[in-house]
Amino acid sequence: MGIAQKLADKQKQVAISEFFEKNKHFLGFDSLARSLITAVKESVDNSLDACEEARMLPTLKIQINKIDAKKDIIEMKTTDNGPGIPQKSVEKVFGQLLFGSRFHAIRQSRGQQGIGITGVVMYCQLTTGRPTHVRSKIATEPTASVVDIGLDTRKNKATKSNAGREIWEDENGELVEHGLEVTCRMKAKYQKGRQSVWQYLRMTSIVNPHADITFIDPEGEVHHWPRVTERLPRIVESIKPHPRGIHLGQLQRMCNESQDSRMTVFLRGNFSGVSSRSAKELCEASEISEKTKPKGLKSDQIRSLLEAMQGEKTIAGKPVKLLKPPTNCLSPIEEMLIKKGLSKTIDSRFISTMTRVPSVTNGNPYQVEVGLIFGGSMAADKHVEVLRFANRVPLMYQQGGCLLTKAIEAVNWRQYGLEQAGGKGLPKGPAAILVHLASTNVQFTSEAKEALADNAEVMEEARKAIMEMGRGLKKHLMKKKKMAKTQEKFELINDILPAIAEKSAQILDRPIPDLAGSITKIMSAVISETQTTWNKETKMTDVSVVLFNYTSRARSYTILCTWPEKFGATLENNEMGGRKEATGVWAWKLATLDPGERITLSYSLGGLEKGDWTETDVFYRGSQEVIGASKMDEKFLDEIRQQEKALKEAGMDIIETRDTGSLLDFEGDEDESSDAEPSEAIPTDAEPTEVVLDEFDQPTVEAPEGQSTLFGGGN
Amino acid sequence: MVKRHSPEETKVAMHGVVAEMYDKMVKGEPPSMTLPVRTKNNIGFDAKLGVYKYGKKRSTRDATSLGSAKQLLRTLHVVEFIEQMIDAGKSSTLREMYYISESWGMGKFGTQNDSNNLAEDLEIVTKCLREDFKLRPEEDGARMIGNLTLRERNRRGEWMRINARDDVGDSGYGLPYNVEEEKIELLEHDIDFIMAIETGGMFDRLVENGFDEDYRCGLLHLKGQPARSTRRIMKRMSEEWDVPIIVFLDGDPWSFRIFASIAYGAIKTAHISEYLATPSASYLGITSDDIVAYELPSDDLSKKDIEALNAELTDPRFADTWWQDQINMMLDLGLKAEQQSLAKYGLDFVTDTYLPEKLKELGLA
Repeated sequence: MGIAQKLADKQKQVAISEFFEKNKHFLGFDSLARSLITAVKESVDNSLDACEEARMLPTLKIQINKIDAKKDIIEMKTTDNGPGIPQKSVEKVFGQLLFGSRFHAIRQSRGQQGIGITGVVMYCQLTTGRPTHVRSKIATEPTASVVDIGLDTRKNKATKSNAGREIWEDENGELVEHGLEVTCRMKAKYQKGRQSVWQYLRMTSIVNPHADITFIDPEGEVHHWPRVTERLPRIVESIKPHPRGIHLGQLQRMCNESQDSRMTVFLRGNFSGVSSRSAKELCEASEISEKTKPKGLKSDQIRSLLEAMQGEKTIAGKPVKLLKPPTNCLSPIEEMLIKKGLSKTIDSRFISTMTRVPSVTNGNPYQVEVGLIFGGSMAADKHVEVLRFANRVPLMYQQGGCLLTKAIEAVNWRQYGLEQAGGKGLPKGPAAILVHLASTNVQFTSEAKEALADNAEVMEEARKAIMEMGRGLKKHLMKKKKMAKTQEKFELINDILPAIAEKSAQILDRPIPDLAGSITKIMSAVISETQTTWNKETKMTDVSVVLFNYTSRARSYTILCTWPEKFGATLENNEMGGRKEATGVWAWKLATLDPGERITLSYSLGGLEKGDWTETDVFYRGSQEVIGASKMDEKFLDEIRQQEKALKEAGMDIIETRDTGSLLDFEGDEDESSDAEPSEAIPTDAEPTEVVLDEFDQPTVEAPEGQSTLFGGGN
Repeated sequence: MVKRHSPEETKVAMHGVVAEMYDKMVKGEPPSMTLPVRTKNNIGFDAKLGVYKYGKKRSTRDATSLGSAKQLLRTLHVVEFIEQMIDAGKSSTLREMYYISESWGMGKFGTQNDSNNLAEDLEIVTKCLREDFKLRPEEDGARMIGNLTLRERNRRGEWMRINARDDVGDSGYGLPYNVEEEKIELLEHDIDFIMAIETGGMFDRLVENGFDEDYRCGLLHLKGQPARSTRRIMKRMSEEWDVPIIVFLDGDPWSFRIFASIAYGAIKTAHISEYLATPSASYLGITSDDIVAYELPSDDLSKKDIEALNAELTDPRFADTWWQDQINMMLDLGLKAEQQSLAKYGLDFVTDTYLPEKLKELGLA
């Protein structure tokens, strides 16, 4: 070996420990407490990603043991039911720096950068000198492979030892079909509280409602976050660049490398969001002939094209209309699942969630989701709990410096019923606020990847979403107040008034008076009571609406109820018939209700899981106000119907479609969508409905009181 | 005019209240009870009686809200309870009634204050007295010392003659909660006036210094806001013996209110002001002037003090110029002083200097 080679090796040797020392901050190993969280996080991320790619429902078990309390030696053991890793790849996954292909793909993924599980193996080796034990079982092999993976710090290479095969049985003595188990020891500290393994797993379980997570802490206590949905996150797709986010150099390179014969084909085939019409318009705006070969473009033409793409060059004063980039490269959790995730970890009375339609900043699609959970056992006099996530990964440090926190702080919470000193900053109250940013390119403030960097557009999206949720909270609080009042009235006429009648009759020795007249005078209203309850036996959600006429005149009403039609629910046991008013709104014309009479409307919702639908919004048509229901805003119904009609014309079926996205800044073009080949600008295996839906605007009329759920599931 | 009611009269009066509720229900209306408004905005001077009484403002408590409906139900329970006591020849304290209400289900009282207020409500609408209802207060009455003689009927029903100077110890004669004629008779006295004193410390100071003998007066300890029986006995002594009542209190907004309740009638008991209030009573001190004139050690007014003073400025009972001046002066000074701050000049200062000077102003020494 030559001297140069020796020197280089030596340098490398220094490098691996130095590398760790210098970069431990962004690797997540800067403190003993954080090191443990990072190790758990890397392992859990790997498991979740593997299960997601294999379309399996993850079941994870994480166990932390204190081996030597004095020396802070901790053992971590994580087990999943994922596909496992083939024997020959184990070494690669655990031993090789920056192994994997995720780094350059334009799509949302958990571990975007960083060194993943390899970092954990390195950290364990460096702090305890011990290798990491891996047991892996793939379905096609009868036995599991076991191996100890370490790092040869001298050669900077992964080492493996004790490799072999064994039968893997779970704690019940049953053979494990497939899965992965990682056991390692490291110098670390187990802590409780806001920044702990427990909190990390709790947050992870909120945004991964499809995962079943069990955590056994060093004291042997078992924490279990069950799976609340069988629905796997959707497969995320890689996308082509969007014209709005392209840089000159990139555009030049794409033109140079293009084999296309004409500009329109090039534009439609290589960019997302470009229809055949917008391709023509881009050419027109940049004054390039449609027939030009992209390869032959001159540099000033490329510059013109860029300007047209970015809306600086226009046609008749208007920027070229572009579609949004497809959003199937993003994996939002979606409202109903956020709701489930939150409600399984936090006991509360009210949940409101909101998934904004995807948007684009600098050509990167992103999507903001928020959730707010209120009431229950949460402390009323403390700041609300902030749950931050980027691409489904919990952010646990640097809360104050994070864009997502700032977005919460920028909202005036007092108008929504939470305390907030001076009308800004974190509000106080029995609430937790979840903010999730899904994006193909998450910008952090630093390598530590714990706080999102400022971005005015993202901030505004988050703020809007949070405000929308705030409005939901306010509505809930008002509704609660109203319900309490109604409840009081019922107590009055059902309990107190009869007692007054009885006692006064007894004192005066006279007959007990008839109370019908007094009751009508006291209530002088039509009152509705709605119950939405999960029926364990039928596995259906039972809804009942009772209407009491406590007025002195006969009344007739049409009652309208919201139901989660677009989430695939079915109406069952609906004996009163009625008819569909619009998607997600069913209406019943009720028989005339005489004074003092009541009528009960009941039905069940099938095809839902427990907790999917917990509150039904009830509307009425009729002259006298109904306490406990809202008057129907017909304009709003019209909007829903129009949207339906547009969808029908486009041959779309609204059921099972989640994305009611709008075009926001990018205006849609309806003619295009129905005839042209939408797949051109769209990855081939995407469900076409999801993308084409983007071209239909959401209703512009603001939802009336109590109606936001028409587009977002129950709250 | 306040008068006592026989058990039968009391029942009839209470049945009137119940009948109002009952008849409303028969007519298909919410049951209700009509009461005078019990705030300072609804008290006015009754020239004939010389005291402040409730005005014409009425409020209807009807069963259209849960709170009011519960209040009506409680009223019925209280009526029933009083009837039972009348029939059984028993009486109870207001506090006992509060505990008894535990078994009234939906009609039970929330707080002791609820039961006190309700007893007053019933007094007002039936024009009966608490005593007619067989309800007695928890608070004990005042103590008195001085050369005055009265008769009290003891538990065995025998009359006992008591001289409040010769037959009592240093703590004086303790008044029972019932000071009506069936219990107490005022016999004779050899005093020129009665001095009602707010604090026990000052009462004891005057007793120790022999002020009652030196100045031929009766001393009476109010124990803060005076109980009904204390106000009633002052009223009786003032009327039956024709002796002036001189009131000696701390110099703060609350003392002003104590004086108003003694001399003009309290807002809460304005329905029986002519029975409790002594219009001829005089305020001796501590006045706002005294704080300045005697350079008394003082405390800053608290926020609550200032609120109370401002409320007094719009209280019809303090509408005369003397009181307006006193209140405004205290607000300007921003200070209040206790009776015992006079001890700044020694233990005898109050009896040797302050009281003689103040009594001279009132024409009594």
